Amino acid sequence: MYQLTDVTKLYAKGRRTVPAVRDLSLVIRDGEWLAIQGRTGHGKSTLLNLLGMLDRPTSGTIVMDGKDLTRLPGTQASRLRAKSIGFIFQTFNLVPTLSAAENVEAALIPLGVGAAERRRRVAAALDSVALGDRARHLPGEMSGGQQQRVAVARALVKEPTVLLADEPTGNLDEDTRDEIINLLEKLWRERGITLVLVTHDTAIARRAQRVGVMSKGLLTIQAGAQPDAVTGPVTG
Amino acid sequence: MFFITYLRRELRRRMRQAVLIALGLALGIGLVVTVTAASAGVKKAQADVLKSLYGVGTDITVTGKAPKAPTPGSAPAKGATQIQVGPGGAKICQNGKCENAAGKTIDHLTPGNYGPINHSKVAEVARLKDVAAAAGGLVLTDMGVKIPKNFGGPGGSAPPSPSSFNVDGVDTSHLSLGPLSAGKVTSGRSLTNADANSDVAVVDSGYAKSHKLKVGKKVSIAGHSFTIIGIVTQPQSGAPPDVYIPLARAQALGTGGSSGKSLKNDVNTIYVTAASASDIATVQAEIKKLLPKDTVTTAASLASQVTGSVSGTAKLANDLGKWLSILVLIAAFAVASLLTMSAVGRRVREFGTLKALGWRSRRIIAQVVGESLAIGIVGGAAGVALGFAGAAIISSVAPKLTAALATATGQHIQQVTSSGSESFSPTVSHTVAVPMSASVTTGAIVLAVVLALAGGLLAGSFGSWRIARLRPADALTRVA
Repeated sequence: MYQLTDVTKLYAKGRRTVPAVRDLSLVIRDGEWLAIQGRTGHGKSTLLNLLGMLDRPTSGTIVMDGKDLTRLPGTQASRLRAKSIGFIFQTFNLVPTLSAAENVEAALIPLGVGAAERRRRVAAALDSVALGDRARHLPGEMSGGQQQRVAVARALVKEPTVLLADEPTGNLDEDTRDEIINLLEKLWRERGITLVLVTHDTAIARRAQRVGVMSKGLLTIQAGAQPDAVTGPVTG
Repeated sequence: MFFITYLRRELRRRMRQAVLIALGLALGIGLVVTVTAASAGVKKAQADVLKSLYGVGTDITVTGKAPKAPTPGSAPAKGATQIQVGPGGAKICQNGKCENAAGKTIDHLTPGNYGPINHSKVAEVARLKDVAAAAGGLVLTDMGVKIPKNFGGPGGSAPPSPSSFNVDGVDTSHLSLGPLSAGKVTSGRSLTNADANSDVAVVDSGYAKSHKLKVGKKVSIAGHSFTIIGIVTQPQSGAPPDVYIPLARAQALGTGGSSGKSLKNDVNTIYVTAASASDIATVQAEIKKLLPKDTVTTAASLASQVTGSVSGTAKLANDLGKWLSILVLIAAFAVASLLTMSAVGRRVREFGTLKALGWRSRRIIAQVVGESLAIGIVGGAAGVALGFAGAAIISSVAPKLTAALATATGQHIQQVTSSGSESFSPTVSHTVAVPMSASVTTGAIVLAVVLALAGGLLAGSFGSWRIARLRPADALTRVA
């Protein structure tokens, strides 16, 4: 579970200080699917980076399963990220020189998993996204949808408790978009992970349990369309 | 192993850049190896020249202080021979008595520019602490001057040119030290202890060839006939003495140049072997204390006495070669570092993603340094190959180097003219050809490996510095 209290993130833009996130307080329950919407530059990706410890807030606290992420040293933050948090990016961010299997394997390297176990888990992860037959293909040899599925497999191979997806369908056509979202929803249901998904697409956002809208760094929470939506103590 | 797979794939992706960096390093390292090999070759040539002069196993040589040249117009020393040239023709004068020199031959065995050292000092040097062995020797020049019949008078012929050859008086009881120790007998036999007082000689093969001398033939030294018992070849055709005779005979026949004194109880060179290489400096100091007026030199300082292209090439290799290598290496390291930093710059998103996956900076840095080291090792290997090729080219195309050593004959010719008298001392210059052979040493290869690793590490560390400063959010934001 995430608990964010009075979180603010300021950026220096020339001589000006720009607030990307302002006084945000929010609770994200374990196993919840939260969609974040909003216009470009209004703080969606910044919020996701703060949740994933890719950035630190200027003020406020972010607690995850009892740990204050804002006070966590760099090495412990890396370890926690390696073990518990999966990322999916809009531009897939696959290493271009590594095959699909090796890209997925890269997520297991910091965990110190043995080679045989790595191979087994990579094969299972690729099978789960229906890419078992493309294991040896390089990213450049695959379609956008296939690359994003490899990215999903990479995020899930370490069996994280949290999945942070930043516009995962932003670079995909409509059919592929549906394919990826259906896959994410399936995995979310099956694995019970916490899914925080940033999207411009209202149709996708409606499938989440809750929808938050970022505007000028402020978050407003709305209920989503999921029948088992959780409405927790949300402010902001 | 994932590390190797990732490294291999990344290097294959930027193959052209990797090859460029490796080639730059190879060029720099190849130049260092070639220059080191050439330098070693020149040092070996110098050592060969010196070895033939002073023999193997000699760490230190002591030579007698050079006698002062007589001032023009001064009275000759007792026993000294003078050739006086005036309007009445040429005269040979000794102890005030002069006779007509026309058509006569003067044949003297003199010590050149080395002064005498009392023979008893050899034993004193041998007894010094840290001295393993010491042997005395007489380095002499047999100079013959044939005075033309019409020399000196009005319309007479030009001053005569002396003909000379080097004669070494060898201590037959210490044949393992001194100039004969490095020689290889090609015909007949070498000197033995039994020859100590005999008129026998061993002749250098070069001198024997040019003067058509063979074992059993005679050679005239200071007017005495010596039987040739052996022909000897010195290594690398250095500047060997022409004739070796027993020390006692050299002492008996030699005279002290302009002083005209007998050398009966003298040597003018002492060959010394130190107990170990680390003792050479100590022994040098001890001998200097014992013989303060004489010259004590080590093999290292002797090298400076050699002139000619050997000396020039040594300077070229040490100065120009060294600095050129350093400049090329700096350029290669700079290019490698810049290209690595540029490659890291292009992979910002990749490294940001890896950080998002939980990779610590240390692991990413290890990956980049590993890539740089791999390029460095390939460059180093190519550099060693280039170095071998460079050394082979130098060995095959380089002309023979020459080493020149000037030796004074010790003779003193005084020419009396209407405006006064002029004097000159003829010198004999020995110029020898030494083959230039550049060989790659183990040290040079070790140096190449160290440089390759240093180049790789340097380039990698510049890239690493950039990665360490990389914040994952920035990296992802910048390109995503």
